[in-house]
Amino acid sequence: MANNQERKKLVEIKNVSKHFRVSEGTLKAVNDINLDIYKGETLGLVGESGCGKSTFGKTLIGIYNPTKGTIIYHTADGKPMEINKKTLFSYSKMAQIIFQDPYSSLDPRMTVADIIEEGMIIHKMYDKHKRKERVYELLELVGLNKEHANRFAHEFSGGQRQRIGIARALAIEPEFIVCDEPISALDVSIQSQIINLLHDLQQKLGLTYLFIAHDLNIVKYISDRIAVMYLGNIVELASSNDLYENTLHPYSQALLSAVPIPDPDKEAQKNRQILSGDVPSPINTPKGCPFAGRCPYVMDICRQEKPVLEMKQGHLVACHKVEK
Amino acid sequence: MSKVLEVKDLHVSFDTYAGEVKAVRGVSFDLEEGEVLAIVGESGCGKSVSAQTIMKLNPMPPARIKSGEIILNNKDIVKATEKEMRSIRGKDVSMIFQDPMTCLNPTMPIGKQLVEAIKNHQKLSKEDAKKEAIRLLNLVKIPNPEQRIKQYPHEFSGGMRQRVMIAMALSCAPKLLIADEPTTALDVTIQAQIMELLQEIKEKTNTAIILITHDLGVVASMADRVAVMYAGKVVETGTAKDIFYNPSHPYTKALLRSLPTTDMDRSVRLVSIPGTPPDLLNPPVGCGFASRCENCMRICHEEQPNQFEIGENHTASCWLLHPDCPGPQVGGDK
Repeated sequence: MANNQERKKLVEIKNVSKHFRVSEGTLKAVNDINLDIYKGETLGLVGESGCGKSTFGKTLIGIYNPTKGTIIYHTADGKPMEINKKTLFSYSKMAQIIFQDPYSSLDPRMTVADIIEEGMIIHKMYDKHKRKERVYELLELVGLNKEHANRFAHEFSGGQRQRIGIARALAIEPEFIVCDEPISALDVSIQSQIINLLHDLQQKLGLTYLFIAHDLNIVKYISDRIAVMYLGNIVELASSNDLYENTLHPYSQALLSAVPIPDPDKEAQKNRQILSGDVPSPINTPKGCPFAGRCPYVMDICRQEKPVLEMKQGHLVACHKVEK
Repeated sequence: MSKVLEVKDLHVSFDTYAGEVKAVRGVSFDLEEGEVLAIVGESGCGKSVSAQTIMKLNPMPPARIKSGEIILNNKDIVKATEKEMRSIRGKDVSMIFQDPMTCLNPTMPIGKQLVEAIKNHQKLSKEDAKKEAIRLLNLVKIPNPEQRIKQYPHEFSGGMRQRVMIAMALSCAPKLLIADEPTTALDVTIQAQIMELLQEIKEKTNTAIILITHDLGVVASMADRVAVMYAGKVVETGTAKDIFYNPSHPYTKALLRSLPTTDMDRSVRLVSIPGTPPDLLNPPVGCGFASRCENCMRICHEEQPNQFEIGENHTASCWLLHPDCPGPQVGGDK
C-alpha cells in the first residue's frame, strides 16, 4: 500500500445521498456521504443489514443514480470524470461489482464462457478468437480451468460460482471493484479460498476494492481502511488497525464487542457490550445523531444536532461525545 | 447429572431419483442436563439432518433412518409412531430455526400461536394460557407483551421474531432445545442479544441445548462440548477447549486456521482448504476428508478410520492418530 504522500485519489464521493420514495415517506438509505477511495487500497465498509452499505456500493458503481451529490472518478490518464448518464458507459469499463449471492447473480441459461465474454462484447474488446483465449485465461486466473467454459452455472458449487462472478468482473480489465459481501454466502473453508484469491488478484492487477461485509474479522484482515456505517451515515473512518485499537464511536465499539471470537478463553473474559433495541427504520429518521436511540452515552445535544464526520484523536468520527 | 439424549450410530439416508444420499453416516453423541453441545460443520455435512432426525421432522419418505438409536429421556424414539412423536415434540424436545420469518404463521397473531402451542401440551383454560404466553414473552424480554401478543409476525423485527420462536419453543419447558443456526440470519449486535438470552435461559431452566452452527465464534462463546461434522460423520468431539486449543483432526485444524483473527494482517496468508466436500450420493470408501487432507495416506482412501481417544471425552477419527502411525507426512499420498 502506498504511503500518504503518494496516495492517489481514484474515486471521490462528494455529499452523495440516495433516497427512495416509499408509501410511508422517504427512505434515506444513504445520507450525505463524503469519502475518497485511493488507488490500490482496500476500503472496508461495515454495518448491519439495512444500514445502506449495499445501496452505497450500487450507487458507486452506477447501478443507482444518486439523489444528491457527485461521484468523480480519476481515470488512468489523470482526468477527473463525473459519473452521469453520459459517462456511465465508459465508467462501467473501469468499475465493476461482485455480488453477494453467487446463485442469483449468474444467468442460468448462459454458459460460463458466455457469461464471462458478455462484458467484452459490450465494450467491443478484442476479436472473437482473442476473446475466447481471454475467457480461458480468466478461468485459470480465478482457479478454474478450460473445461469449465462450456458448462452452466448450476453445475458448480457456491465457491466456484463466486469465482465465475469474479472472472466476469475482471473480464473487461477494470481498475475498481466493489465487492458486495462476496463471501457471506460461502462456507468457512471456502471463504478463505476466495479471500486469498481476491488478495492475489489485487497484487497482480493493482486493483482497488471497496469491500462491503458484515464479518468484521474478515474486513479487518483484508482492508487498509474501514468505514463504519449506521443508518445511511458513515460514523467512523480509520485505518483498520486504528479502528480496532482505538475505537471511538460508541456504535463501532458495540459492533466490535458483539463479534464472537473463536477462542473460548478470550470469550469468557470478554466484557461484551450488548446494545438494546433494533436498528431503527431509515424511513423518516429523527433529527440528531442517527445512533442516539440506542447509544448508552446519549446526551441532550445528540437528539438535537447531527454530529459531523471530523478528525478527532487521529481519525474521522461523527460523535458529540468524543473529544478532540 | 442425567443424560437427556443419547444418539448411537445413527444413519439417515434420503431416497432421491439420483439414488440414495447418505446424509448421516454413523453419528453418535450424547448430552447431559444443562449442557450446550455445539455441532459444527459446513453446509451439507449432515448437521441439520442429524438434529432434525431427533425430532423426526424429516418427511419419511424420502428420508429414512437406516439404523441407530436416539434415546431421549430413556425412550428410543426411532421406533416411536407419529402419534407418539406429536406428544414428544414441544414437550420433551423443541427446536428453533434459522429463519424466524418462515417458521411463524404469517396469518395469525403471535399470541394465538403461542396459546396454541401451550394448549397442545398443557390442560389450561384460555385465560391461563394467555397469561402463560405473556409470561413467556417477558422471559424472552419482549417489551409490552400485553400489546405485542395481538400483533402479527410481520410487525416484529428479525431479532424479535427469533425471541418469539424461543418463547414458543420453551412453552412446555422441554428438557432439550435444538437451536439450528439460531443467529445466522441476524446481525451481529442482535446475535449478541440472542446468545445472551439463550445463555440466561439455560441457567434459569437447566435446559440442555444442541447448538447447530458454522460460526466458530458463536461456538466459543456458548458451547461446553463440540462435535465437528464432516461428510455425514462426526470427525472429532471434545470440550470446547479441547477443540480450540488441541484440535486433533486435520479438518478441525484446517478449519481453525482458515479464520482470520483480529491480530492478523495480510502478510499472513489465510490457510484455505483446497477442493470441496465429497458428494454424499457416492460417499468415499475411506475417510471423507481424504481428498482435501494435506497429510493423506494410502489407507485413508481405502478404509474408514476408527475413533481414537486423545484425552478424556476427546476423540477424533483419523488414521494419523493410530498408535503405530509414524507421523504426518506433508504432501501425503493423494
